[in-house]
Amino acid sequence: MLINTGVPTREQLDRLLPSPERRARGPYAMVECFQEIPCNPCSTACPFDAILPMKDINEIPAIDLDRCTGCGICAGVCPGLAIFIIDESKKDGTATVTIPYEFRPLPEKGETVNAVNREGDVIGDATVTRVLASKRTKTPLITVEVPAELVHDVRFISLIDEQSFSDDTSSESQKSPVSHETAPKTDDEDEIIICRCEGLTLRVIRDLIREGYTTVDEIKRISRAGMGPCQARTCGPLIAAEIARMTGQQVAEIQPSAHRAPVKPLPIEFFLGGDSE
Amino acid sequence: MMYNIDLVIVGGGPAGLMAANTAAEAGAKVLLLERDGHLGGQLVKQTHKFFGSEKQHASMRGIDISTMLGERLDAFDGRVTVWTNATAIGFYEDGVITVDHDGVYKKVKPERVVVATGASEKFLSFPNNDLPGIYGAGAVQTMMNVYGIRPGHRVLMIGAGNIGLIVSYQLMQAGVSVAAIVEGLPHIGGYAVHACKVRRAGVPILTSHTILRADGTESVESATIARIDRSWNVIPGTKKTIDCDVICISVGLTPLAELLWQAGCEMRYIPSLGGSVPLRNDCLETTVKGVYVAGDVTGIEEASAAMVEGHLAGLEAAASLGFKSDNYDAERKDCMDQLAALRSGPTAEKIRSGLACAESR
Ligand SMILES: Cc1cc2nc3c(=O)[nH]c(=O)nc-3n(C[C@H](O)[C@H](O)[C@H](O)COP(=O)(O)OP(=O)(O)OC[C@H]3O[C@@H](n4cnc5c(N)ncnc54)[C@H](O)[C@@H]3O)c2cc1C
Ligand code: SF4
Ligand code: SF4
Repeated sequence: MLINTGVPTREQLDRLLPSPERRARGPYAMVECFQEIPCNPCSTACPFDAILPMKDINEIPAIDLDRCTGCGICAGVCPGLAIFIIDESKKDGTATVTIPYEFRPLPEKGETVNAVNREGDVIGDATVTRVLASKRTKTPLITVEVPAELVHDVRFISLIDEQSFSDDTSSESQKSPVSHETAPKTDDEDEIIICRCEGLTLRVIRDLIREGYTTVDEIKRISRAGMGPCQARTCGPLIAAEIARMTGQQVAEIQPSAHRAPVKPLPIEFFLGGDSE
Repeated sequence: MMYNIDLVIVGGGPAGLMAANTAAEAGAKVLLLERDGHLGGQLVKQTHKFFGSEKQHASMRGIDISTMLGERLDAFDGRVTVWTNATAIGFYEDGVITVDHDGVYKKVKPERVVVATGASEKFLSFPNNDLPGIYGAGAVQTMMNVYGIRPGHRVLMIGAGNIGLIVSYQLMQAGVSVAAIVEGLPHIGGYAVHACKVRRAGVPILTSHTILRADGTESVESATIARIDRSWNVIPGTKKTIDCDVICISVGLTPLAELLWQAGCEMRYIPSLGGSVPLRNDCLETTVKGVYVAGDVTGIEEASAAMVEGHLAGLEAAASLGFKSDNYDAERKDCMDQLAALRSGPTAEKIRSGLACAESR
């Protein structure tokens, strides 16, 4: 699924596909935006009102393909880089796809580049037919010609001498989200630094908790954890989470350390100075 | 000496900038404190186009929004004073704020305060997590986008929220390769469109995976990751070593609320908002009278919401001093409507439930 892998499913994509007649007629926009997010520039930017106005900013964009001219304005403004312009009207076995591409160097017109699919795999060659670098949106739009049968798969390009580094990404979906605060247990207590400023390991902190120091302040007083330059911004939440884990409490129940001025260590002469304007 | 002023705004990110603009517009005299040498907060590092609607400058890049908001302040010359390199270091019970301004100790006594200090990054515990080459995502972004320094050659990103996804994308734009994005949850937390963007650029997103350890002699040379089950137990036989010289940690932000604790504001730990947040009323005033809050310090959200909250806090703080603009009622309603719209979708469900717990009285 999209939210597990970052790749939309075939069904999601098929639902976007226009009728065969519309596809044969000329360029159109594929709006590959499948999640309700607070975003609407595509609908306000379309000069032909083809992307329908949103009553609620979270709506998934809906497009009226009879009004869409394939002008590509929406593809340039979309912050999600989720809009592609497809042209399948040529009858010579090729088709073009226009891709928002924010990388340097830009390819040149006529250049052969790798055609890359939504998974990041190279699936063939593509020929650059247009490079449109808008000063206003600063999102260049690259149009490439590909074999017609690939036009619904090609969604990215890479320059020929660059390598692609895709990898196995399969991932079965699992329910019940767990927060990052329940970090996995580990036996490597001596190698884990909790307080970077004072160089305190997880073992030191755990030993103190076992001895009965069960508030962040107690641990701070006995070990200096949180008294360095970062003033507990790094270690404070980690220590609270560890106390919670070891004492079977919720993090919310752990007394945070007292916050006193100054919020950063300062030399004493600073306070003696002061401004006397 | 003691500086007396109508309103002090602590933090010059999108929330603070909007608060300063709005309060000055209404007629208040404002002092804006920013600990960095420049205004903009997180926005300065955001080279990507923003979501939202036109009102929150959607489709503009964060850096351009920041420049625009900063320039607007110039229009109020005389009413807005900006101190950069100015850290508010203490907030005392008598309402005095102490400041380290370019190394000089200053004391300010304002009638009202808007605290818009943003957030700090959460860290992770794993063996060798102190090796050079392990950074927070914010630090990597600052290095790349503010100072033009590449953090390394090959990065392993931990966390597939919006920040992990966007920073991965920006790393690739800077010519750094991203080996993979590792995410402990079974699903990607950030927006799907961001995930698609990095996926097609060749970066695998490994959900239900975690980092077990980092290795290297002088600095990071590799990381070991593995698949985990829903209770974060490692699934045997799934360990994998990934060569990388940078490990970038992006497992969330937590509100930077020290000054609010010091001021005595009532705080509540709300996990879905990122940590301890101040209780506040619908004017964004905390339980300490005259102390207002806006932006990520009220709970981790987005710049779009931070700007609207800044607008609202600036409006209310000024109004409570008698600087009530003619269209106060309309502006207030507009802010409320924008916030409601931004928070109405399914991706904001956590935020809605968290905010309900953060209301005072
Ligand atoms: C990688 C990334 C991508 C993002 N993408 C988007 C996006 O696409 N769309 C979106 O809407 N949002 C996005 N955000 C979120 C957005 O940047 C934040 O929500 C927003 O910046 C919060 O604004 P703020 O003003 O509350 O805090 P910040 O921007 O963090 O600003 C706080 C300011 O306060 C200053 N400060 C802190 N403490 C003190 C002190 N004691 N004294 C003086 N000054 C102090 C800090 O230096 C900082 O400048 C992104 C964030 C990141 C990290
Ligand atoms: S391609 Fe042009 S006409 Fe079609 S939806 Fe986009 S902006 Fe509108
Ligand atoms: S502008 Fe792009 S990301 Fe935003 S709603 Fe439209 S298609 Fe989706």
